[in-house]
Amino acid sequence: MASVTFRNVYKRFGDVTAVNNLNIDVADKEFLVLVGPSGCGKTTALRCLAGLEEISDGEILIGDRVVNDVAPKDRDIAMVFQSYALYPHLSVYDNMAFGLKLRKVPKEEIKRRVNEAADILGIRDLLDRKPRQLSGGQRQRVAVGRAIVREPKVFLFDEPLSNLDAKLRVAMRAEISKLHQRLQTTFIYVTHDQIEAMTMATRIAVINKGVLQQLDTPQNLYDKPNNLFVAGFIGSPAMNFFAGKLRKDGGKLLVDTGDFVVPIPASRAKPYESHAGKDIIFGIRPENIHDADFIPPNIDAEKVSVKVDVTELMGNEIFLYLVSGKNTFVSRVDPRSKLRVGQQAQVAFDMDSFHIFDAATEEAIR
Amino acid sequence: MPSISQTFDSLRSSQKFQKRFSIAIRLVIAVILIVFSIFPVLWIVSASFDPSQSLATQTSLIPSNASLQNYQRLFSKDPNYKFGDLVFEKWIWNSVKISGISTILSLMITTMAAYAFSRMRFKGRVTMLKGILLIQVFPNLLALVAIYVLIFQTGEIIPRLGLNTHAGLIMVYLGGSMGMNIWLMKGFLDTIPRDIDESGMVDGASHWQIFWNLILPLLRPILVVIGILSFIGTYGDFILARILLNDVNQYTLMVGLQIFTSGQFDQKWGVFAAGALIGALPIMIIYLALQDQIVGGLTQGAVKG
Ligand SMILES: Nc1ncnc2c1ncn2[C@@H]1O[C@H](COP(=O)(O)OP(=O)(O)OP(=O)(O)O)[C@@H](O)[C@H]1O
Ligand SMILES: [Mg+2]
Repeated sequence: MASVTFRNVYKRFGDVTAVNNLNIDVADKEFLVLVGPSGCGKTTALRCLAGLEEISDGEILIGDRVVNDVAPKDRDIAMVFQSYALYPHLSVYDNMAFGLKLRKVPKEEIKRRVNEAADILGIRDLLDRKPRQLSGGQRQRVAVGRAIVREPKVFLFDEPLSNLDAKLRVAMRAEISKLHQRLQTTFIYVTHDQIEAMTMATRIAVINKGVLQQLDTPQNLYDKPNNLFVAGFIGSPAMNFFAGKLRKDGGKLLVDTGDFVVPIPASRAKPYESHAGKDIIFGIRPENIHDADFIPPNIDAEKVSVKVDVTELMGNEIFLYLVSGKNTFVSRVDPRSKLRVGQQAQVAFDMDSFHIFDAATEEAIR
Repeated sequence: MPSISQTFDSLRSSQKFQKRFSIAIRLVIAVILIVFSIFPVLWIVSASFDPSQSLATQTSLIPSNASLQNYQRLFSKDPNYKFGDLVFEKWIWNSVKISGISTILSLMITTMAAYAFSRMRFKGRVTMLKGILLIQVFPNLLALVAIYVLIFQTGEIIPRLGLNTHAGLIMVYLGGSMGMNIWLMKGFLDTIPRDIDESGMVDGASHWQIFWNLILPLLRPILVVIGILSFIGTYGDFILARILLNDVNQYTLMVGLQIFTSGQFDQKWGVFAAGALIGALPIMIIYLALQDQIVGGLTQGAVKG
């Protein structure tokens, strides 16, 4: 068990900087998820930690030890690859035992550990099979099993669920979370799927173009995104953004999008005072836009006129795609809503839960 | 409307006819090809049982006075017959030994070189790969004189690698077969995902352990193919062996057999045919034993999904 530290880590491939000044402290026993869009450098960061890529600059520590020059096999880590990378000619048992055999662990001990891992993962019946005789989900378990038996200090996962179908992915998500609880070891997990990140992580590192955007708990990322990228990346459907201006009108601060104007409640106005007159981006999540007929009690609702463009009935909720002038946006409303396509209607913005970003820097204004 | 249905019918029957016709054509072509390739074999078989020793007198495929005489002569079991220093068994053994050793050595070198070319990044890698290919472009024949001189001079320093030694011949074969095989093998290795190497690396394996425990087992199909090609190639080689070996006891089968055809008025075609047939046995045995793997190696990649 160990902590992991990235200290000013850079990784360049020619003139591509895949990892750009990465600083992350992962506590012992933490479940850290690296998330970001495709090509943002998540895998590269993980491979640097595994020792499969040499870093161009900076330091990586596992525990208190700088591992820059330590070979992968001596880093005491285990990695689950996106492709699983099972050894095709070895049985499931031998796949799992391979690392232990290399380390000259006694036969009895190997057997005990493999069987134990197989029991945890429910693959006891598959031990004699070859990888090609397994389904995708079973291969995935074997790959995880191969990592478990090694009892490493740190587990690394590179998009282990991306080859599974939607249902299995949800099930495996829960299993990996359980595994983390059970093993009490540091997990570092790479995914491009923000839902996976939100559901499993103790903390999430959002990365874009090689640069760490924000490192925080799932709830904080959701409630207090640092910048426009994080705000748009975390949450599904994504946050709605409106380009506009902050305007001061008789002591009240207003957000003017050109199509509609909403006032900022006095209680929240303070951080924005200094930005009056500037270009901003106003952000609000779909679930904070309500059908005007079903406004929850005790919120600071601000009505806006819209036209309903598309409706998606999800059963327990309805997604409305709304148009207001040049802006289109999504709201997630009460299933009792009677709003239908083509209708002119009123929706209510919950002015307790909005976000404002500086249009120039894209940083959140707080 | 009868006219339409009639045209339709005739069209259908003509399609049927076309189909049959094309099958017939294919059959004819196949038969011609088979006859074409099997005829020399049949002729050799026939000649080996024909004691008359002459090409001219052999007029039918089934010799009128068939006997095992040629085979007896080949193994010096015919008391009425003497043909110089005939050591047929020795030649076969020499051929099998030389081909076997050079095949195994060449597989080892090829595989390791291809692994390095496929998996490691070093300076001059691409240049070397292209160089290997370029050298292959020149026919071996061009280098005959050079090879002769090379082996001759090597022999001055290390006699065991010189002229008239099997080791020297094996060295020459090794150099000749390597280029193409390295490319073939590298192509196959490139289809094995690097993830497997990396997974092994994280699991704690050294480069050698990865090569030996994880990659080599996956190479079996291509090893079989390259091994057989290389064995057949060296087993069937005449010109290099003829030039480098000059003692009848050192001869390979191909060089030895040639003795039977070389005397101007004294050719022994029947014995030659018998020798050629027996000489083909090792190759046939290997081929039959590894048949499935050859097809597999030529058609499938390393890692099935
Ligand atoms: N070996 C390499 N040589 C050159 N460029 C590379 C190499 N590996 C990665 N890159 C580049 O580095 C950047 C980050 O790649 P990386 O694989 O880390 O992305 P990722 O975040 O894992 O994306 P994905 O979600 O698609 O897997 C990409 O622009 C990629 O093209
Ligand atoms: Mg990746």
